[in-house]
Amino acid sequence: MIGAVVKQLFGLFVDDELLAAIILSVVALVSALALSGVVPGWLVGLLLTLALPAALVASVLRSARRGTRSG
Amino acid sequence: MPNLTTIISVAGASFAASFVEAVEALTIVLAVGLARGWRPALTGAGAALAALAVIVVSLGPLLGAVPLHALQFVVGVLLLLFGLRWLRKAILRAVGVIALHDEDAAFARETRGLTEAQQRRSREFDWIAGVTAFKAVLVEGIEVVFIVIAVGAARGLLVFASAGALAACVAVAAVGAAIHRPLARVPENALKFAVGVMLSAFGLFWTGESLGVGWPGGDAAILAFIALFLAVALALVALLKPRAAALA
Repeated sequence: MIGAVVKQLFGLFVDDELLAAIILSVVALVSALALSGVVPGWLVGLLLTLALPAALVASVLRSARRGTRSG
Repeated sequence: MPNLTTIISVAGASFAASFVEAVEALTIVLAVGLARGWRPALTGAGAALAALAVIVVSLGPLLGAVPLHALQFVVGVLLLLFGLRWLRKAILRAVGVIALHDEDAAFARETRGLTEAQQRRSREFDWIAGVTAFKAVLVEGIEVVFIVIAVGAARGLLVFASAGALAACVAVAAVGAAIHRPLARVPENALKFAVGVMLSAFGLFWTGESLGVGWPGGDAAILAFIALFLAVALALVALLKPRAAALA
């Protein structure tokens, strides 16, 4: 039962692996840029604001293409 | 001191998200109660609530020991994963690519499974029923606890987030106790759509803030992010719905 609970909890955050991977990659990249100080704060914010909705769009379009193809 | 907009956003997001989780837990507990009796259903649900209380009481004080920026970063990233996942699924459900979540179907499936198991093991103590209710309430309850922490902890608004979640759980439990049927008429996908938008907006805001971004307008930027994710999600629905309908 513990395994099932842990699996369900993991599933809370990861459903589409591509979406999770893009989100984590974006956050890792932007964090590295922010912590190294090579980009100003406003650019860090802009990158997050553009990249995260774009990740959603990519994931939804991919799933819709697969779903309609298989359906 | 956070402004009224932030407080309402936090309590509202916590209420809506917890409402969805509570409806899912109620469906399973009702199925257990009606198929196998109320004793194992309520015992299982009660044990899960006790386990949740132990988790909250033992881990809650640790939150205060975590530096605020680290907490905002971790919570922000988890909210992005959680919120964008919900939003993605809600969009795909809205356009018909994946089936809508059906509480009636979930209720019937759970009831059928438990009734068949009872027929096979009619003389045994009802551990299956109790464990089923326990697991459902524990898993959905952990989700509620996560939501409360995620939307409330990074701004010191745990009280408002907890109040939102508690109100949702009480409302669902009261309606469930009154009608003894799953709450199938709740517009679950619309709720998940709205919650996905709000949690994604909170995730973006707190991840940025933890990285030193000074958002224009301060907390009001959350409203701008809500508008952004809502616009993107609605645009995707508008784009994909005609295509999915044409292929259906």
